[in-house]
Amino acid sequence: MTFTNLFSQFLSGLTYGMMLFLVASGLSLIFGVMNILNFAHATLWLIGAYFCYSFWSLMQDYTFALWVSIPLAALACAGVGWVTEVVLIKRIYKRELHEQLLITYALALIFADAIKIIWGPTDRLIVRPPIIQKPVFIFGAPFDSYFIFVILTGFAVAIGLWWFLKYTRYGHIVKAAVYSREMVGALGIPVPRIYTWVFTLGIFIAGLAGGVQSAIGSVTLGMDTAIVIQAFCVVVIGGFGSLAGTFAGSLIVGEVFSFAILYWPDGAMVLIFVITALILIIRPWGLFGTPLRA
Amino acid sequence: MKLKASSIIFVLLGISLLFAAGIDKVAAEEPYNLGVALGFTGTGTLYSRDQLEGVQIAVDEINAKGGFLGRHPVRIFQQDTQTKPDVGVRAVKDLILRERVRAVINDYSSAVAMAVKPICREYKVIHIAAISNSENITKVNFSPYTFQVVPNSYMQAKAAALGIARMAKAKGWKEYVTLASDYEWGRSTQEELVKNLKETAPQLTCKKEFWPRLGETQFTSFITSIMSMKPDFVYPVLASKDNVTFTEQAKPYGFFDKIPYVGSMQSVTELITEAKTMPRGLVAISRAPFFAHLDIPMMAAFVKTYQAKYKKFPSDWAVMGYDAVYALKQAVEKARTIETEKVKDAMKGLTVDLTRGKLQFRPLDNQLRCSSYLGVVADDARYPFPILKDLIEVKGIDSERPEAEIIAARKAEQK
Repeated sequence: MTFTNLFSQFLSGLTYGMMLFLVASGLSLIFGVMNILNFAHATLWLIGAYFCYSFWSLMQDYTFALWVSIPLAALACAGVGWVTEVVLIKRIYKRELHEQLLITYALALIFADAIKIIWGPTDRLIVRPPIIQKPVFIFGAPFDSYFIFVILTGFAVAIGLWWFLKYTRYGHIVKAAVYSREMVGALGIPVPRIYTWVFTLGIFIAGLAGGVQSAIGSVTLGMDTAIVIQAFCVVVIGGFGSLAGTFAGSLIVGEVFSFAILYWPDGAMVLIFVITALILIIRPWGLFGTPLRA
Repeated sequence: MKLKASSIIFVLLGISLLFAAGIDKVAAEEPYNLGVALGFTGTGTLYSRDQLEGVQIAVDEINAKGGFLGRHPVRIFQQDTQTKPDVGVRAVKDLILRERVRAVINDYSSAVAMAVKPICREYKVIHIAAISNSENITKVNFSPYTFQVVPNSYMQAKAAALGIARMAKAKGWKEYVTLASDYEWGRSTQEELVKNLKETAPQLTCKKEFWPRLGETQFTSFITSIMSMKPDFVYPVLASKDNVTFTEQAKPYGFFDKIPYVGSMQSVTELITEAKTMPRGLVAISRAPFFAHLDIPMMAAFVKTYQAKYKKFPSDWAVMGYDAVYALKQAVEKARTIETEKVKDAMKGLTVDLTRGKLQFRPLDNQLRCSSYLGVVADDARYPFPILKDLIEVKGIDSERPEAEIIAARKAEQK
């Protein structure tokens, strides 16, 4: 096995990890701040992919169609997220975790049916602009040129979220609300409104991830069920509510999966679950989480 | 007294005539309830919708002539199995108990068809696996109620092996890898291909086996792994949308320019949906492409009707859905009744006239002796999508598993 081959596999793992991070970061953010385990997150990610397809369809004659459609999809998805929070999620903050899971699972089923009604069962395919139809070669390793954009988007979201939480006033409020909702409320800060915007931001990122995914393969019903388990593995490994943990968890899952495919294809998925199970046994709050959240 | 007796006889005769007419009227109006339990959501959506359209056209045509035997209108009852075995079992039970279906067409997924098979056997309902093609549906745990009208995984693998062996010899190929969806159909098809290639092209070695999950969204790691290994060719066994996803993700890597991609299943569905993007020159296998049999009047008429109704060309799945209903119709005609036990017995070993020609259900396993088709993906001026050219039709009789092996497998199963 040459260096080029190994590097090529590393890049595949990095891409996969970044896609998982884009899906899981919103999930982790929402849980970390609001204590809501949103099982419908991946379905909202899928809605983002369908939105992107619709916007792209309207503009497909233009080469910029895809690049404009991705942020539009994120915004449209954020709109759905905002409505969902105001209408439903707001009412289940204080419910038990298992009730939240049941309610958000029901939501996932409702969204999945809504997708079928709106977009139909046919697979949707975005034709990429010519500039990203050919591979690029990095140290001799062929690499899908679109994946450079995927990786950059992943890093941009990671840095953007980190900057938001560390350096902005709203970021500080959000972090404070994680530890004491009552205290933040006592300071006159409208916590419910903060929660609404955090949820909307989480779904915005899910929509962005869906938009990015839509140009990787066909957009199809049921894609969400394939990715939701892996997204949960990522946040369990990294630690629920931890941005750094989600980032690390995504890279671990992406790279372990990718190299396992090279050396032990039969066990690629098993390895991910073994790691997740070990983390749950040894360190239930995850690599970067805190016992408070466990 | 005489008058009185004749009056009584007359009245009794009248009553019995009325009664007989009444019975006849009831019999004439008794519909034939046909269940269609397919994966209308989940990974099988595309194929299942098409199949239902084929079924619908067949039923419309038959009902236009009064239904089965000219007097039993066929009523379709649909259920979504969501391409999940547990949901499939519930859906079929519901069709049997609530809708009283006499036959059920099911499923896209072999795993669902396998789960439904014992249910149909228990309730004595005919089960037609029209597009799910794991050979285990008919090979082991045999049910006399289950029939398959699609070339099964063994037949497809054997047909592919025959074609690949020919190419490998011509091109001097030595090593290959397989890439198969990790579920019943993917596993059994891959297993058969590897076994068949060992027999037909012993110089070939399978270097590695890749098993992506059904519904995989990220094939990147598989693509780079395969490219690193530089095999002489790849044999894929990917279903429906997984096939589309892999193709779309592999293209930007220049995958198809570097490694021959041989024997992938490209049904008319993929040829249409990926008309602009499918790499030309792929050597592909298909189950029931309409363009292979336009010389058969039944196929030509079906294509015409289907186009008129749905404004598109019928896929393999629509063709097989249509054939499933006509196979059932011909069994009913042979049995001269819609009674399930007699129809099931009539169907065993029956030779039926279908869009794909005159084909027989093999008595041992109820598998239709239908063909598999291999060809090169190429454009054709007659269609707005590529078709398979240089088509090789491998007949069912040449690709089916020897009966002795099936008998041995069943004996082993009983031990």
